[in-house]
Amino acid sequence: MDLIFLVVAAVVVLALFFDFTNGFHDTANAMATPIATGALKPKVAVGIAAVMNLLGAFLSTEVAKAISVSLIHEDAQATLFVGVTGAQMVFAGLTGAILWNLTTWFLGLPSSSSHALFGGLIGAAIAFAGMDAVNTPKVLEKVVIPALFAPAIAGLAAFLATRAAYLITARSQKARSKSGIGTGRNKFKIGQIFSSSLVALSHGTNDAQKTMGVITLVLVAAGFQSDGNHVEFWVVLTSALAIALGTYSGGWRIIKTMGTGLSEIRPAQGFASEVATGVAILASSKLGFALSTTQVASGSVIGSGLGRKGGAVRWSKAGQIVVGWLFTLPAAGIVGALSAFLVKAGPVGFIADAVITLAAIIAIFQISKRNKVAHHNVVSEIEGASEVVASPRQVRKAAAKAAKAAAKAGKKKGKK
Amino acid sequence: MLEILNKIEWTALGQVFQATMVFAVGVVGIFSLGIRLLTNAQHAVPGANKGKTSAVRAEVLNRLGAYVAFAVCLVALGWGITLVAPWIFGIEDAK
Repeated sequence: MDLIFLVVAAVVVLALFFDFTNGFHDTANAMATPIATGALKPKVAVGIAAVMNLLGAFLSTEVAKAISVSLIHEDAQATLFVGVTGAQMVFAGLTGAILWNLTTWFLGLPSSSSHALFGGLIGAAIAFAGMDAVNTPKVLEKVVIPALFAPAIAGLAAFLATRAAYLITARSQKARSKSGIGTGRNKFKIGQIFSSSLVALSHGTNDAQKTMGVITLVLVAAGFQSDGNHVEFWVVLTSALAIALGTYSGGWRIIKTMGTGLSEIRPAQGFASEVATGVAILASSKLGFALSTTQVASGSVIGSGLGRKGGAVRWSKAGQIVVGWLFTLPAAGIVGALSAFLVKAGPVGFIADAVITLAAIIAIFQISKRNKVAHHNVVSEIEGASEVVASPRQVRKAAAKAAKAAAKAGKKKGKK
Repeated sequence: MLEILNKIEWTALGQVFQATMVFAVGVVGIFSLGIRLLTNAQHAVPGANKGKTSAVRAEVLNRLGAYVAFAVCLVALGWGITLVAPWIFGIEDAK
């Protein structure tokens, strides 16, 4: 059998596996808040998320094209990007991304699978052909700058939307006592059914396309496809199925591990943050920005936490999250470059890289099977983000505790 | 570095910013209005006012307003999705 066919097949399988883990990992982004507020039963939520991811994958191919066409320089594409070398480069980048993703998942570090993918590919490209191979302006435009801005944009939108929701539904003390009228904010739960579906849909749109982009990249490199300006239908179909399956099987994780931060989210906040997340991701997908859906969802959760009066930021947790965001791309780049050096070394290196990745996948799978509910390796970024803002109740609790401690200290002094 | 930054299409990012702000705050605001009106409607006819025309009218108007608000949200949702995937309604992408 042709070597090139083998390499391409390996890339397709790995890319679909990556897609599956992406769905597995990100079920929480769409469904953690509606489950937390009780808007949706866990099993229903996970089912909806899977279907919406499947549908979303068919919506658009802008992001896939951005990956397959623009990230690597055209000159470099022409010379380096033909035949086995190009396919091997994509293989190295992909294994780097998967290794980085599995490691961070195992250690419980916040990480974005999208950034791991880009980091891995860029690192591999640099290792193969030097800095010139990478289309730096395009990488900045399509990946780095959206990565920095999108979570902030979604966060600000969620903040303002939450403020608006609370203002509009507020009732004066007088009206409340006169007719017993409430704010009706629990009705936001019905809105959450739609808004969380929107998030799942936009996730399918943006994240499944990253897989499509990688597969298209390798098909072009291997000469099985003339250019990267379209995506083959079987690529769309398999990517859609992989992400939907991953989403569905990722459900048990969020059902079993609902953290304390998420339980403080109210329906109005959940609705506002989901709408902001969904809109920000869809708008970015439309323009071909390949952003991290997890980061956008985290930004929204933080924004909506702040939007409710009386919340407080826990800066140390916020810092942890931001560091994780900035760290992923370069770190995955290094792992991608290392894989690339292995692959470049010859057939033995190629096989070694494949074996290492396969071993890591099996090891992590075994470990996660053994302790399914261990908290440290199943914590989701969304949950981390939800702990960044202390809810009014938590602030009051902390204040009461501090007051108690102060009173105690005061008494002691008095005794002296 | 500056040269690279100049090459970047900042307008696209600006579009994402605008779309997110307008859509997110708009849809959430209108949905909230719907919830307020629906809650109004549910409290428009308390026991003492049973049968009073004005109270019934208030209920109907509030309920109607609420449904209009929810419908606007649904339309916005559908429109947003067609922007991303114009082919759904057979519209060719401008590109």
